[in-house]
Amino acid sequence: MEQFFFYMFAIAAVVSAVLVISVRNPVHSAFYLIVCFLQVAAIYILLRSPFLAAVQLFIYVGAIMVLFLFAVLVLDIGREQFRERFHGQTVPALAAIAGLFVVMGILVVSGKITAPLGPFDEPALMKNTEVIGKSLYTSYIFPFEIVSILLLIALIGAVVLVMSGQGKENKG
Amino acid sequence: MEFVFLIPLLPLLGATVNGVIGSKLPKRAVGLIACLVMAAAFVVSICTFYKLMLLPATERSVVVSFFSWIASGSFSVDMAFLIDPLSALMILIVTGVGFLIHVYSTGYMHDDKAYWRYMCYLNLFVFFMLMLVLGSNYLVMFLGWEGVGLCSYLLIGFWYEKKSASDAGKKAFVVNRIGDFGFILGLFLLYWSLSDLGAGSLDYKTVFENIHNIDPAILTIIGLLLFVGAAGKSAQVPLYVWLPDAMEGPTPVSALIHAATMVTAGVYMVARNNALYSLIPHVGNIIASVGIFTALFAATMGLVQNDIKKVLAYSTVSQLGYMFAAVGVGAYGAGVFHLMTHAFFKGLMFLGSGSVIHAMGGEQDMRRMGGLHSHMKITSVTFIIGALAIAGMPPFSGFWSKDEILWEAFEKGHFVIWAVGLLTAGMTAFYMFRQVFMTFTGECRADDHTKHHLHESPSSMTIPLIILAILSAVGGIIGIPLFEEGTAAHQFLNPVFSHGEQELHSEAVHGGLELIMMGVSVAVGLTGIFLASLLYYAPMKKYAPSFWRPEAIASSFKGLHRLLFNKYYIDEIYDYLVVNPIKRFCDWCLSFDLGVIDWFVNFAAWATRLTAWASHKFDIYIVDGLVNSMSTLVTYNSSIWRRLQTGYLQNYALVFVVGVLIIIVRVLLG
Amino acid sequence: MPAGLNINFYAVMPEILVTALALIVLVLDLFIRKNKAALGWVSVIGLICILPFAAYTNEPYPVFGGTIIADSFSAFFNVIFIIAAIFTILISMDYLRKIGVDRGEYYHIILFATVGMMVMGAANDLINVYVGLELMALSFYILVAYRVKSSRSVEGALKYFVLGALSSGILLYGMSFAYGAAGSTNFMEIAGELGKGDNTYLTLGIILMAVGFGFKIAAVPFHMWSPDVYEGAPTPVTALLSVGSKAAAFAAFLRVFTAAFPAFQADWSSMLWIISAATMIFGAVVAISQRNIVRMLAYSSIAHAGIIMIGLIVFNDTGLAGVAYYLLVYAFMNMGAFTIVALFRNKGRFENIDEYKGLSTTRPLLAFLMALFLLSLAGIPPTGGFAAKFFILSAAIDAKYYWLASIGVVSTAISLFFYAKVIFYMYMKEPDPGAEIAPASGVIYNIVLFCTAVGTVFLGVYPAPFIDMAVKAVRPLLM
Repeated sequence: MEQFFFYMFAIAAVVSAVLVISVRNPVHSAFYLIVCFLQVAAIYILLRSPFLAAVQLFIYVGAIMVLFLFAVLVLDIGREQFRERFHGQTVPALAAIAGLFVVMGILVVSGKITAPLGPFDEPALMKNTEVIGKSLYTSYIFPFEIVSILLLIALIGAVVLVMSGQGKENKG
Repeated sequence: MEFVFLIPLLPLLGATVNGVIGSKLPKRAVGLIACLVMAAAFVVSICTFYKLMLLPATERSVVVSFFSWIASGSFSVDMAFLIDPLSALMILIVTGVGFLIHVYSTGYMHDDKAYWRYMCYLNLFVFFMLMLVLGSNYLVMFLGWEGVGLCSYLLIGFWYEKKSASDAGKKAFVVNRIGDFGFILGLFLLYWSLSDLGAGSLDYKTVFENIHNIDPAILTIIGLLLFVGAAGKSAQVPLYVWLPDAMEGPTPVSALIHAATMVTAGVYMVARNNALYSLIPHVGNIIASVGIFTALFAATMGLVQNDIKKVLAYSTVSQLGYMFAAVGVGAYGAGVFHLMTHAFFKGLMFLGSGSVIHAMGGEQDMRRMGGLHSHMKITSVTFIIGALAIAGMPPFSGFWSKDEILWEAFEKGHFVIWAVGLLTAGMTAFYMFRQVFMTFTGECRADDHTKHHLHESPSSMTIPLIILAILSAVGGIIGIPLFEEGTAAHQFLNPVFSHGEQELHSEAVHGGLELIMMGVSVAVGLTGIFLASLLYYAPMKKYAPSFWRPEAIASSFKGLHRLLFNKYYIDEIYDYLVVNPIKRFCDWCLSFDLGVIDWFVNFAAWATRLTAWASHKFDIYIVDGLVNSMSTLVTYNSSIWRRLQTGYLQNYALVFVVGVLIIIVRVLLG
Repeated sequence: MPAGLNINFYAVMPEILVTALALIVLVLDLFIRKNKAALGWVSVIGLICILPFAAYTNEPYPVFGGTIIADSFSAFFNVIFIIAAIFTILISMDYLRKIGVDRGEYYHIILFATVGMMVMGAANDLINVYVGLELMALSFYILVAYRVKSSRSVEGALKYFVLGALSSGILLYGMSFAYGAAGSTNFMEIAGELGKGDNTYLTLGIILMAVGFGFKIAAVPFHMWSPDVYEGAPTPVTALLSVGSKAAAFAAFLRVFTAAFPAFQADWSSMLWIISAATMIFGAVVAISQRNIVRMLAYSSIAHAGIIMIGLIVFNDTGLAGVAYYLLVYAFMNMGAFTIVALFRNKGRFENIDEYKGLSTTRPLLAFLMALFLLSLAGIPPTGGFAAKFFILSAAIDAKYYWLASIGVVSTAISLFFYAKVIFYMYMKEPDPGAEIAPASGVIYNIVLFCTAVGTVFLGVYPAPFIDMAVKAVRPLLM
């Protein structure tokens, strides 16, 4: 039963991802991306990670995509059609993807790719959020702090790229 | 001794300071820094020299090691200095004459806009020269060797806006490179053959202790290769061509680098390797022959030059030939002694000529000079002292050193060298006094404007002249054979050459024969001066017979004169034989390069067309429409290949993914 | 506080100090309105003061829950990063004025990028590697796009961003495989868990991680971004990108592969062998046909990445020390070459190699220095480039990688061709009549050029102590 749901969500995610890059209207693209994210969130729940699923919904679907749609609508690029999207490389790209798929398939079917289960058992996973929170503020405190600098840089970067259009610029 | 590291370090410090912030400092400060570090280095050199003198003669060889320079496996080289009589004498010459020339430069270069750059290069040069003479192993010497070459290139091309100057710089660099190539090959061979003996080292001490174990045939090759390096640096035939052109540099540079110090590095190197050369006397004979031939050859060209600096340049080449003749026959002491006196009198004459050029507003052609004695007494008198010294007139320094070389050559049975040397000495006296007479006596042939501005140079230039004149006059005193065991210079230097001299030559006997020889050489010198005076000195001209006038000689020996005047067409011959073929080769390489690129592009296009054509034919004739998709794929692929670096992001991403795929397949399935 | 968390601020002092400096510059930016170069001076002086801390911080045990380690390895690379940042900021001050975007953010973004590099060098945990890498990459996206009005700059930044995101995704994918296989992200725990080797699942993760790092060091075939980005970015940023970013990626590369996956050495070295060989040959061959000097240097830097990889592949102490030493030398010689390019490049002038014609007559000193840097890049003695190449190639020969060493030598020989072409143009050609004379160097440029030239020569003529340092630096990796 669980496998059935997994495959359903997975296929839906892949199909919607393909649609994201193949439809001609950017607004439609954005909507397909939301669909794709929702499938991923569902897969997280199947994987006993409710926290990640919630974060996926809040941040990607709730914040980022809404902002993205907002920008698309405000800038009124919705009607503009993407013209050339693949630069004439549809065939080699498909071949490459098919090749990757086949290779992975071979590896999986031949049983070469197997991994041991992680250190967390079922009861520990019930307290998923607590586990993440604890390790984030203990073992991973240093990267956590670095991420704060990362966000600061992202903020500054956005400002710089928008604002520095005001200065004079020479080609050189 | 422990402060000996200061000797090279001080000039390096000066060069660094002037190089980095010199452009922002006032000229006075730049000059002061450059001269002060030189003065300090000179003082330290004197102290070192003094301390060395305090040691007993047999222990005068001190190695001061600072740090391990390169240590990789069995090969290790220390940054270490060797203080012995030879290097002590050399550092005194380099820092002493160097200091005087620095002082002189502050006057001479005062109006140059790149004054700081000049001072920086000059200090840097002294640093490398000191590394060359102080190093206790071949690698430190090689560092200095390359460094002085670099500084020489920078200083010859100092006025790089002038095409002739930057060309001369390049020429010096390239010709030196040929010599250096021989030098480094010699070092490799030396190290290699010593390693075979289990004594792989570049330290002089270890090398000289083990050198007699090397097969004499290989030793001959090593000796010859090292001499190629020396010939390049010290401007011997056939690699002398750069030195006359090097006169494009500022005159103090000519004095310091191309007369007093750098060009003598080759002589120093051969003298330092006396242990090696004493084992292969036949190579010594070659060196002596090349040296004496160079001496004669350059002197003949010097006879007819009209450029005041060119005359001095050829005479430098000629004097260097003398030194090589001396070290070639095994008279290392005499060679080094002549090196020292030459540094004094040739440095003096170059500085004097600089003073003249300064006064003449940049004019270098002696045909437009004349009568300068009345305008610039100090320059004139000091210059004449220098000329007397180089002409070998007693009691000036040149007499003692040149005579010693001739005597040693004679005594060791090299009569040809002695005879040619004597002839050259006569020529030297002739062209030197030709120069003196043309420049300082007679009517002034300059235009009125120049005449009006004639003046004695400032004291910053004349004081070094006076000091050098005194040294040129009395510097030979240590070479006067008054002592029972040879001269003072010999006594001092002998421990260094103990490997070399004892085997080749028994204790010198100074007796009646030597006095006769002295007389002969003085007579030859006087003859040269006399002949020159008949030609160029106004009060004497009227005594000259009709065939002995410049014009008469030039017309009766027209061919010879033209040959000499054009310097035997050596530059032209080199251009024809070496330079032009190389240039053509370079052009060919360039066109090849351009061709290759075009070829790549064309080939890609052609390959695309070919593939397209082939797949097209394939399509039509063989499978017809069946493999249409195949054909499309080939076309796609080739177009992607052609525009691999297309600028399209999507293509880049595709290449990326394909790369990942290939690696996964290779590692996990391969 | 759980046991083993081991909070030690002293161990991360260099990172803290550089971050603090960046924040100070960030705040000062608000108050200094006119003379933004003053911010550059503050950054430079700050970095010079931090340099000793970075060089001497040595707490060779994992801290902060085992995520970070301040050993001699990270100290060595911290010095490279800080030196590169100092040079970059120095040459930027004039350059920014020249291109008319003299804004203060530039300086603290560079400092933040430096923090990112330092985190990568000191990381002892996959998460930290990734976070540091993203911090560095994000800063570079902004810096590359700094000439907002130049389409090439923006285009380059966009390409870098999209491909960088792709490579980050692949890197993360690889890390998640590693986590899946070992149940930990900590290098030592991974190594302990997987001491036996032979695990296809993890090998796949290693491949994907190698691809992620390969992108950052511009290894073939993940190099496609670099010529476009190098050309579009402001030249000082290009210099930092080619020196700092590459060194940081190599630091993380070395640390991850030697500390976490030593048991898989046979697997990853055979994979890296191909990448390294392809990178050396491709970079050198394609550089020949470049007319633009920055693109030429971009391909040359690709070829160098291939040679540096040899040191990792041979996986012995000389090889790894060779990597560290090579990157140190590379910081000096490449910085020097880019400094001269940055000085000359102006308003579309001095883009192409043939515009360097006759430079020896118009700017002899600069031509000489350029020739020095290029000869060092080509690996001609007595420069540092020779010592570094010699070191790495002899390590390869010691470890019996004869083919790889031969390819390295061939690549070096090919590369001599295009470096010599620039020197040929500078020395053997007459300048075009009426051509614009190359600008003279100011005091700041002189200082940078002096330092880089001295570094280049010094590392070549007296390499012993620095090789010693490099050997000491990589010792923790081999324990």
